[in-house]
Amino acid sequence: MEVQINQEDRYEQAFNKLNNAKPYAKRLYQNDLFQETSRLARSFEGVQVLYRYADQFDQAGVFEGGPWEDPSKLQPNLVNLSLRIEGIESIVTLLSELRMLSIAQGRYEHEKVSADMAKAYLNEVMALNLDFIFPEESEEARIERSEETDRAENLFKLLVEEMTLVAVSGTLLEEINRLTAQRPIMVNRILLMIQKAEQLLHSDVDEDKRKEIQRYHDATSQLTPISQEFPKFSDYRNKLKEMTDKELEKESKAFGQSMRETGLVSPYHVVLVRFLNCSKAELVPAALFLNEKGAASLSENAVLVNELIKVAIHLPTRQSLYGLARMLERGVLSHHPVAPGLRRLVELDIKPDMAQTLLEAFTEHEGITANNVMVAGVLSVLGQPLGIGQGLNPTCQSARALSLWSIHDPGYLLEQIPRAARDGDITMTFEGQAIHSKNLTGGLAPDLHKELDPVSLILVPHLDRIYAEMINRVQFRGDDPHRWVNPPFYGDWVPRGFGKVFDHLTSNITDYGGFVRLFYATHHPDYNEGHELIYPNPVGICVTTVYGKMLGFHAITIQRVAKDPKGEYRVYFYNPNNDSSQNWGQGIEPKVKGNGEYEGESSLPFHEFVSRLYAFHFNPYEQGDASSVEDEVVEKIETLARESWGQEYLWIN
Amino acid sequence: MTTKKQDRKIALIGWSLQSIEAVEELQRPYVVVSMPSFEGYAKKYGIPFISWDFEEIMKETPMEQVYEKSKELAQILKEAGVDHVIPIFEDTVEWAGALNALLKENKRDFHHSLLFRHKAKMKRRAQIGGLKIGVFEEARSKDEVREFLRRVNDVLLKNDGEEYDPIHIKPFSKAGAVGHHVIRKEDEIDNSLTDDLFPCLMESHLDGSQLSCEVFVHKGKIKFLNITEYVEFGYSMMVPPSPTIEGKRPLVRKVVKQLVETFEIENGFIHPEFFITEDGIINFIEVAYRIPGGNIFDLIQESYGFNPFKAHILCCDPNTTEKELKNFFPNEKKVKGYTGSLMVYPRVNQIKALNIPKELETHPGFHKHTMFPPEERKVPEMEGFGTPHGVVFFHHQDSEHVKPPLMDFNNHDFYI
Repeated sequence: MEVQINQEDRYEQAFNKLNNAKPYAKRLYQNDLFQETSRLARSFEGVQVLYRYADQFDQAGVFEGGPWEDPSKLQPNLVNLSLRIEGIESIVTLLSELRMLSIAQGRYEHEKVSADMAKAYLNEVMALNLDFIFPEESEEARIERSEETDRAENLFKLLVEEMTLVAVSGTLLEEINRLTAQRPIMVNRILLMIQKAEQLLHSDVDEDKRKEIQRYHDATSQLTPISQEFPKFSDYRNKLKEMTDKELEKESKAFGQSMRETGLVSPYHVVLVRFLNCSKAELVPAALFLNEKGAASLSENAVLVNELIKVAIHLPTRQSLYGLARMLERGVLSHHPVAPGLRRLVELDIKPDMAQTLLEAFTEHEGITANNVMVAGVLSVLGQPLGIGQGLNPTCQSARALSLWSIHDPGYLLEQIPRAARDGDITMTFEGQAIHSKNLTGGLAPDLHKELDPVSLILVPHLDRIYAEMINRVQFRGDDPHRWVNPPFYGDWVPRGFGKVFDHLTSNITDYGGFVRLFYATHHPDYNEGHELIYPNPVGICVTTVYGKMLGFHAITIQRVAKDPKGEYRVYFYNPNNDSSQNWGQGIEPKVKGNGEYEGESSLPFHEFVSRLYAFHFNPYEQGDASSVEDEVVEKIETLARESWGQEYLWIN
Repeated sequence: MTTKKQDRKIALIGWSLQSIEAVEELQRPYVVVSMPSFEGYAKKYGIPFISWDFEEIMKETPMEQVYEKSKELAQILKEAGVDHVIPIFEDTVEWAGALNALLKENKRDFHHSLLFRHKAKMKRRAQIGGLKIGVFEEARSKDEVREFLRRVNDVLLKNDGEEYDPIHIKPFSKAGAVGHHVIRKEDEIDNSLTDDLFPCLMESHLDGSQLSCEVFVHKGKIKFLNITEYVEFGYSMMVPPSPTIEGKRPLVRKVVKQLVETFEIENGFIHPEFFITEDGIINFIEVAYRIPGGNIFDLIQESYGFNPFKAHILCCDPNTTEKELKNFFPNEKKVKGYTGSLMVYPRVNQIKALNIPKELETHPGFHKHTMFPPEERKVPEMEGFGTPHGVVFFHHQDSEHVKPPLMDFNNHDFYI
């Protein structure tokens, strides 16, 4: 607090000096003000202080002589980029937006910009900056997180508080649709957006949008008339006791259907399911809106599921109800080791620090135990293997491993969880030697960002260290270490053939055409003699920005290659960043729905995907004829690669 | 001089917003004479301006001929009602000298200004005045440098392969540290000296702590003497100096007085540099007749609370009254605190990021800094010390919270 006051004083001094200077001398004092601005803007309270001065910015000469001088010339579409640029530009942009806000709010009259014009400008700015309003958890956001983005987030917090989001409701809804389509396990960001969108229900948004917002709002709260009538959970539960079977079935279906449509779970739904689980178990399938396979799996494992609901489904862990439904439909419980593996977790002796971490993952964790949280987390992971996310951590490999094991080796996954949670150790064998995670330090994420699902919280710190250790052991072998590390790390079904773009020693690109042909001959059904992709393939891609500029390497998994509804071959893949429909430039935009994607999958047309690929595994015994791939196809892909991430590298050939 | 001062204009030779601000606040009529590139800015803000392309003219004019070349400009100024001109930068000093000579019809003013611009003339004059200086000669070629190096070390009896005492090379007319070379070995003469450095001044090496003085002179009297300590030469300075140097103020004042008399400074401002040894011997290095670099004026303002840019204009103006000056300058002993500046130069060729250490902003002596995260870029090659990429200011009552961080943070890489 004292620091804040001191900073305010410093700002005031700098402001007064600038204010007192003659117009021609403003530039002598602007820099000091920008320095103090950057100090204050580190906190939200600081941005509020800055806003108090915003109506005097012009008079004081804050923008004198610079491109921000005339607010009528500013363009909303430049704001996002300007705010990210290091140095003075992002600072002046922030001040410029605050000036606009004070015009919009009638605190300051500008001769060229009216309050309405300022409002329109800021609405557009907000629509174009949802990434600052609802900070993302994507790979891009993680890499680009900085002092500048922190300041921008503080700015937009103020803008949203002072303005309304009505004008951006369309964009906001699109964003919610896009994110829910991916069915992530962690829904905090979605819930935040819905919460903000709720403010719009009482304003003049158009009817369609109002319905959409209402749908999301209801899905996470009082969906049914009865829950609206009895908002207290205890009253609602008492009411359930009085209801007829028919009424209960109606209530169940309503919640079940909404959950399946949105991937979001209402707390009343939890109250309902827990009640049914004790008193009307035959209605549980309806409440989960299970398909036949799911209902069969439930009836086959009725006792276990009954116990799992008791243990795992609580108000804070409500999202796991969706995981449970999806797990039942996947039929995972018929894998022999899964049922006993789950039972073991219920009373597992969790290490105290781990237990603490698990409980702290939920802000409201009264009345639940770490074991409850852990089992809930496992239901989510087994039900939504493609909903696992890396959060704000550089741990795409570990997230990918959890996803792969959940799909193909749930028994193995259920072995690793108790090892880590109870023993604080995980063992993997690498080239004949056992590696114990407890003996290792470091890894990519020593300071794990804790906004993660429970299973990731338990396993990622161990997996990350083991992965790093394996890489270390082979890094001087003269070829890409992933070639040797991926099969022992992910599982022996990862094939030993390895295709890659970069020369390991020089990072130059050699024989790119050959690389493309090899991928077609091993993965494209028209060229690989019909071999199906049986196990997901962990591959490496170059993520690029909206301008096609290299952003970084990223680990994803090819789930399948298939024709989309239009008959075009697409690659369907899992991206652990939970924000899978980013724009990668050159018109390459991964899609998450509408092109035959399963829940949680992203997809791209085959050739567009290949243009971002830099390494993959293949089975040398299942290979078609590489020479049959048309030259035009190879050339088209090479152009896309060269003109995007390829600009950072030397191409030899 | 019978004209009333309020009717007669001051011409500032060179573009400095601080000086323009100062002359406006003093409410003196003025005009700025500077490069055509500033004309647009001046017009936009209504700053009286006369455009004159000094750089273009200097390309083919030796400084000795500036007098002839400035007659046209002098006429323009005369017609504009200019009483006297004030140089702002090193390379406008001889122009100001020539213009004042023409305006006052006294050619001596021009030759006087050359004393500050020609390093050999400067040394000779100082020597005549009895200031303590090193042995110096003028060189026109590398051979003469070799000869001088040998001769100096011969009399220092370093004949038998012992390590030589260094000599210093400074081109006659460049400002500050530009073109300054230290020669320790004969092969360095061929390796590091380029032809454009000649003719130059050669001087034997002197020891001691380096300091500069900022001397405000009016009617031949020292009105205010500031002493600046060069904490780490070229990187950091402090005003006032450490107590040990401050204790020698009477001694410094005596030498500065001698300098003012020797160089016959009547009205104006000088910025001499000295070495001072522990036993109080003061060696003269050089003197400039312009505003000093390295933010020294900012340090003075912060430590003493008066505006040195205004003081500069007041002292250059022969019409300023004794009373005005008396009210203007504070007591040299009544200092508000120590102020230091650290100039930051990147030590990398390609800047990737700004790296401000946490300890800096929490240091009790920290005042402010001027650095913003840069966009990735190449660092241009610079002669002398060039323009610093950033400045860190310290300010505190206790010099122990100012001087040590000036040295410590100089080891820190602010740009990585």
